[in-house]
Amino acid sequence: MPGTTRDENPREVSRRNFLRISALASAGLASGVSAVPALAQTAPKKGGTLRVGFYLEASTMDPHLSGSKVDRQIYHNIYEPLITLDTNLGLKPGLAESWQQPDAKTLILKLRRGVKFHDGTDFNAEVAKFNFNRMKTEPKSVRKGETASIDTVDVMDAYTIKINLRRPDAALLATLTDRAGMMISPKVIQERGSELERNAKGAGTGPFEFVEWIKDDHLIIKRNESYWNKQGGPYLDRIRYRPIPDDTVKLQSLQSGEIDVIDYVQPRDVAAVKADKNVAVLDVPSLAAFAYQLNQTRPPFNNKALRQAVAYAIDTEQIVKGVWLNVGIPANGPVPPTSWAYDKTIPPIKRDLAKAKAKLAEGGKPTGFPFTITTANIPINIQEVEVIQAQLAEAGMQVKVKLVDAATQLSDGNSKNFDMISYQWSGRPDPDGNIYQFFRTTPGMSLNWSGISNPHIDALLDKTREASSREERKKLYSELTRILQDELPMVYIVHPIEPKAFSLKVQGYEPVPDGMMRFRTVWLK
Amino acid sequence: MGRLILRRLLATVPVLLLVTAGVFTLIHLTPGDPIDVMMAESIDATVKENLRRELGMDRPLYIQYAAWMGRLLQGDLGRSIRNREPVIENVSRRIRPSLQLAGLAMAISLIIATPIGILSAARRNTSVDRFGTSFALFGICMPNFLLALLLIFFFGVKLRWLPISGYTDPLEEPWLGLRSLVLPAVTLGLALGAVITRTLRSSMLEALSEDYVRTARAKGLSEWSVIRGHVLKNALIPVVTVLGLQLGTLIGGAVITEYVFALPGVGRLVVDAVFARDYPLVQGVVLLIAVGFILSNLLVDLLYGWIDPRIRYR
Repeated sequence: MPGTTRDENPREVSRRNFLRISALASAGLASGVSAVPALAQTAPKKGGTLRVGFYLEASTMDPHLSGSKVDRQIYHNIYEPLITLDTNLGLKPGLAESWQQPDAKTLILKLRRGVKFHDGTDFNAEVAKFNFNRMKTEPKSVRKGETASIDTVDVMDAYTIKINLRRPDAALLATLTDRAGMMISPKVIQERGSELERNAKGAGTGPFEFVEWIKDDHLIIKRNESYWNKQGGPYLDRIRYRPIPDDTVKLQSLQSGEIDVIDYVQPRDVAAVKADKNVAVLDVPSLAAFAYQLNQTRPPFNNKALRQAVAYAIDTEQIVKGVWLNVGIPANGPVPPTSWAYDKTIPPIKRDLAKAKAKLAEGGKPTGFPFTITTANIPINIQEVEVIQAQLAEAGMQVKVKLVDAATQLSDGNSKNFDMISYQWSGRPDPDGNIYQFFRTTPGMSLNWSGISNPHIDALLDKTREASSREERKKLYSELTRILQDELPMVYIVHPIEPKAFSLKVQGYEPVPDGMMRFRTVWLK
Repeated sequence: MGRLILRRLLATVPVLLLVTAGVFTLIHLTPGDPIDVMMAESIDATVKENLRRELGMDRPLYIQYAAWMGRLLQGDLGRSIRNREPVIENVSRRIRPSLQLAGLAMAISLIIATPIGILSAARRNTSVDRFGTSFALFGICMPNFLLALLLIFFFGVKLRWLPISGYTDPLEEPWLGLRSLVLPAVTLGLALGAVITRTLRSSMLEALSEDYVRTARAKGLSEWSVIRGHVLKNALIPVVTVLGLQLGTLIGGAVITEYVFALPGVGRLVVDAVFARDYPLVQGVVLLIAVGFILSNLLVDLLYGWIDPRIRYR
């Protein structure tokens, strides 16, 4: 189990015992096997303020309008999606108690009774319908893409809705575990409208209620005293989020006791934090991927052999070891190891200089060729690209590096103004979210920067959405992954681990590999 | 005096026009746009188009600029693209920490620089002077971010005397607030103090070689009286110039310092706005910073006349 059990010695494990790490052991690769949570924890108790440090400021409090990952960290404590994820990324009931799919184009959800929004509004089928309509029709809605397969929503009875699909969408249930499934009080939307973007008072049903948000300084939520689920929290009185943009300072704030949790530890800091007895680190495997897109719409990478030459010249193992310091796993394609669709029989592409040179000759460039790698001006990206530059040079490829800020990287990618460009994807629980929009031919697929357009791949991608069983989908994803590792519109490097760090006071945290920090079960010693 | 101020303020209008036009052009010429940044992980092209239209970004640049100017004349700086909040609210919330930081840093720099600068000049080429010059060199050479991290490490992590990041308003909670500002203010104040030390020392040395100093000494005044009564005030002009320029910079945002200490100030605001390509916000903050510079320069000019009556304005 590369990565997940790295560096674990008995002392360290015992130090971490207070955290429920059972999920992790299984979440890595052997999904389904759940370790025994034989943990020496204190009994849960109510009270206290949890102070959370994270790197970015939230952008909006309205889940239907949010396009940034950091917002979700907060949403999952205020709002609740219809379906939620367990620690193995399996689907479990959220605001929907159960669901059934009578046919490929119909989804029936039985909603939970007795759930109230923080403003007292009852949650029911009409409310769910209202939310779907808003996601589909509100002009500023960012959820239109995710809900595109939904045609209409019918209210069957007060607590049952029927979702009629335009086309089969096997990934929809997983999509409903995040913002597209989050329910907002219609009263808040009707009475306060766009004010919701800044003030989520009363808007959710979740274990915590919004209190205040002072931009760039703090955001406070408090315990929802009338939360519907009486088991397992919420225990904390309050949670105080603080954006701390500098990674080093964020970590030091944790070490000096100013905050209790940080959302991410940089690979370079992991060893030092693990050596600190006052801090516990949890290696949470993620759904994320670091990769490079190769521009197929122009030379040199419209030539498949040259794309393969690049892939064979890159030593992913060395990069994961040297740059990522093993805080990640070499990637074998778009499906992360945390996913049920991960196929461990597909090996990551191994470095093979002889093969790389043969591919160069096959591509008509036996002596190599020059090209540019565009990447974001972030330390780990720069390190990675420098290693790649050296590795490619050994195979005779002369690489120039263009460092840009994130906005320029996005615009270069969208306008296909690059040869090879770095791409970071935070990942989605269903493999569809990590594959479809990157490789499907559709004008306006804005994540398909490589410009790949392959009828065989398109047909397979569509099949994955229509297939009803997981086994069938898994087979299709394996087939796709093998084709993609040969066609190489993207060279996948690493599935990072996203370590989170805690003060020893924090108890009962349950990590979900989507990286979101859910604090319902957390209490302070 | 009143007419002078009025004239100077009127003269700032073309400067501001140039500044806004320049910034507007530059930020729009920079690749990348706010919609892409906002929707980095979304695929829906029509949503992007809708947003672009709603924000008026589909229109030609000169029309966008004219529209922006038109609203500005009515006192409206527009809304941030990223968080949809009026720019004026964004900025007014962020100006307070920046002003407090600037004030405190300036006070610290003067407390450090005044004695060292004076002693260095008065005891030229002694060990006191060498210490003063070394201190100034250290302060000038030390990069802000490094000093900030060192201070954080010693006073925050090791000794745990002071909070290492975040902000509390000293006007609401004086003790907590002051504590949260100490480390960033020392970071900035040390560098600024070093510059002022050097300026003060060299302008004092110049004044010390003047005829009126020789006269004063000949009258039998003690060295300290000479310095206090004759040298110091005359040596202040360059110092005030430096201070004035630095005040503008400090208000405009000590970017790195605010970033490292997670202070919600103007500097961090403008950097984040640039990265998000939040055009209205960038424009608004730059306008504000320009006004800050102009006002602090005006203040400096007025101080000149007060310090040295030979400098007269017509």
